Amino acid sequence: MKEIEVTLTVNKRVHTVNVAPRMTLVDCLRDILRLTGTHVGCEHGVCGACSVMFDGEPVRSCLMFAVQAEGHEITTVEGLVGEDGEISDLQDSFWECHAMQCGYCTPGMLISSHALLMENPSPDDHDIREAISGNLCRCTGYQQIVEAVKMAAERRQEGL
Amino acid sequence: MKYQKIGQPVRRREDARLLKGQGRFSDDWSVDGQTYMAVVRSTYAHAFILGIDVEVARSMPGVLTILTGDDARLDNLAPIPHSPLPSTKHDMKLEGPNGSEVFIGDHTLLPTDKVRYVGEAIAIVVAETLAQAEDAAEVVSVNYDPLPAVTDTAKAAENGAPTIWDEVPDNICVETFFGDKERTDAAFAAAQDVVEMDIVIDRVTGVPMEPRAALGDYNLDTGRYTIYAGSGGSVRQKREIAEVLGVEGDTVRVVSKDVGGNFGTRNRLYVEFPLVGWASRKIGRPVKWTCDRGESFLSDYQGRDLVTRVSLALDDAGQFLAMRADNLSNVGSRMVSLSPLSKGSGLITGSYDIPVAYLRSRAVFSNTAPTNAYRSSGRPEVTFAIERLVETAAAELGYDPIELRRKNLVSSEQMPYPNAVGMTYDSGEYAKSMDMCMDLADWRGFETRKKEAESRGMLLGRGFANYVESSIGTPREQAEIHVRADGHIDLVIGTQPSGQGHETSFAQVAAEWLGVPVNTISVIVGDTDLVKVGGGSHSGRSMRMAGTVIVKAADELIEKSKKLAAVVLEAAETDLEFHDGKFQVVGTDREISLYALAEVVGRRSDLPEKLSVIEDNVMETPVFPNGCHICEIEIDPVSGAYKIARYTTVDDVGRAINPLIVDGQTHGGIVQGAGEALGELCAMDPESGQPLAGSFMDYHMPRADEYPSFKTELNEVPSPTNPLGVKAGGEGGTTPALAVLVNGFVDALRPFGVRDIQMPVTPRKVWELIKAGS
Repeated sequence: MKEIEVTLTVNKRVHTVNVAPRMTLVDCLRDILRLTGTHVGCEHGVCGACSVMFDGEPVRSCLMFAVQAEGHEITTVEGLVGEDGEISDLQDSFWECHAMQCGYCTPGMLISSHALLMENPSPDDHDIREAISGNLCRCTGYQQIVEAVKMAAERRQEGL
Repeated sequence: MKYQKIGQPVRRREDARLLKGQGRFSDDWSVDGQTYMAVVRSTYAHAFILGIDVEVARSMPGVLTILTGDDARLDNLAPIPHSPLPSTKHDMKLEGPNGSEVFIGDHTLLPTDKVRYVGEAIAIVVAETLAQAEDAAEVVSVNYDPLPAVTDTAKAAENGAPTIWDEVPDNICVETFFGDKERTDAAFAAAQDVVEMDIVIDRVTGVPMEPRAALGDYNLDTGRYTIYAGSGGSVRQKREIAEVLGVEGDTVRVVSKDVGGNFGTRNRLYVEFPLVGWASRKIGRPVKWTCDRGESFLSDYQGRDLVTRVSLALDDAGQFLAMRADNLSNVGSRMVSLSPLSKGSGLITGSYDIPVAYLRSRAVFSNTAPTNAYRSSGRPEVTFAIERLVETAAAELGYDPIELRRKNLVSSEQMPYPNAVGMTYDSGEYAKSMDMCMDLADWRGFETRKKEAESRGMLLGRGFANYVESSIGTPREQAEIHVRADGHIDLVIGTQPSGQGHETSFAQVAAEWLGVPVNTISVIVGDTDLVKVGGGSHSGRSMRMAGTVIVKAADELIEKSKKLAAVVLEAAETDLEFHDGKFQVVGTDREISLYALAEVVGRRSDLPEKLSVIEDNVMETPVFPNGCHICEIEIDPVSGAYKIARYTTVDDVGRAINPLIVDGQTHGGIVQGAGEALGELCAMDPESGQPLAGSFMDYHMPRADEYPSFKTELNEVPSPTNPLGVKAGGEGGTTPALAVLVNGFVDALRPFGVRDIQMPVTPRKVWELIKAGS
């Protein structure tokens, strides 16, 4: 199948790649750009493991073709880490609250939580559960994730 | 003993990479020149394979090879040596009907005679790209001669059911009796009351979020296979892959790093793992396979699936006199593990002092995916049975369900307590855990909350369940400790975490014993070139087995180091004191740290080369984690919609090494059990045997917005069976969750004439029951 040249920005770096038209964005991120932090959990848009920020909005990268990313800006979990290599306050809260076990859903959870906090800086439990309800986690029972997002929000409010 | 590091909620060390997307899961491995495998799977639940036509597929672009069962036979690939019969000292031993040997049947990688379930692998296609492999797999044409199929557990055991294996015409592969029939019959005959229930715990599947994946890399020069594949224990995988491929154990290296959930599903070997190794040898290039979610639903080893009839005999004061149970476990089409049946068999009497019992345990083949241990293998099923039975007895005979439980509970004074079918519970304070949990749940405030809910037109139900479960597992574990001169200590261990935080909790134990900071200990797991011995992670064995052998190895290391330190410090051993990772000559400032000692030992020719120990430990005695869960469920009678309003637990996990991790295990376990109670089901079409739940659109996974935050506490009663007093913390959340939730629904719906509800309790089912009973 003829490949198509696509230029996209991932974690502030511009990449030009050749992809088959049917290649999904997540496969492009993982298999071509070798950014394996974004995970594949279902390939039908339910589990949220493949969530990435797409022009500032959370999307499922398994439900998009790589060619649709032409000219767009993407942030993956690797891009949540600061340029100095330091983890973000949200990642730190996840760490402190034990908001992950196997860690497979974690990149998607971080993306959805990151998107929530951009939109709503002081979410309550209900808001958080709603916001991450499209991300399946089989390990945690969600409670420590909710606590982590709340902690990050509170710390931002307090300016810590 | 007062511990400094054990018992602390230490942040997990593995999170440093997982948070940044730097974990190394199975599909994250890639090697140069790799090709891709797609699997052709059966579309029939039961059919003879008359022929497989691969000619069209072979001519498709990029196709490198297509292999079938005939090719596997020509290459003498052996069946998977599953060893499904639980065989450690304290396991409940199972036998075939009339005392015969249990028929296991070959789990061939690719069958040539017939397919026995939808999704069974029949052929593999290897191509340059995944898309090419999948395209070619689509046009592999299998000529089937369909046969009648049976998927339902009870139906598979009926006369005239389709035969899955010719060797077992009636499909019943296990029939074993436990307990005392005569005394049980006598007790039932003399009983004032008898309560009986028929219970079906349906089929679910583990659904780890990371689908299975394997990358096989055969090295032509060395003749070695490297298989990158996450599992529940790479040592076992290595041994079994080597046996299937017909090579010596060390010819195979299995690498398992981060594993995205297991819950039992990954403990046993899958056909695809040896297949990628074999295919790699055939084509001389690495071969990668990654399961998609639909394939997972079809071909992951599944869980639960027990049908039971239970009855309880009581005297006129509500004292339990005897119990009967008739358990029938569905092993699926191929016998992978009898763990669920065996584990459950030992715990039918639950947390109660029932003097005599009689149990028939049977297993049956069916045209379904094989079953295996799934989180708390076998125990949620029998906990469901006994706790539903006690609840029903209370309701029907007019006892207060709490008083009836209290009256019959196994007491602390009875520990160690031998139950009526042959298990001996090690320790526990069942009554205290009940009290603690009822306080925590504000038991007394329920009536007020119920009235308040009713004022809003809602129903409020309350569920209660006690539980006791068993942690047995492979008895042998090994630990290696290597002190490095650079200030680090390597700890090599044969368990396999999939989210349980071994890199942290095991480091806490080693750090405690050696008096060094937790972050100086590196826990090494999962690569069979580094880990030679190990039992993997299952049955809640890891913390107990690993903790025990780590303590033993650390003591040995201190002992060995002391002799060396005496030489180096030119002091008598008896004058040395070990603390904070160093030896000190008592009363002086002369001291040497373990690391400095490792450095000295490394360069002095008169001393051993390395500061290292390897210790083995075999521990047969099981432990019995236990506890109490309480829930409240609010139901909207108009729509049947409901929410879990409260969920409270008190668990005895023995000593908790890292309470942060234990809390996480409890929360996750509750939701995994609740998932089964409320929504999860491997639905199958009864006629065709076709699975009806093949994606997340039709298999209801628990979501964040469906659950409240839980109140969880521990009642730590250290087990006397091991030096750290560990029981297990991974299964307690799940074990009673099914029972406590269904008890809650039945409590709420009893005014509508509801005696029992079949799981999963969906809003629709609730609505129908309300409608029928109004």
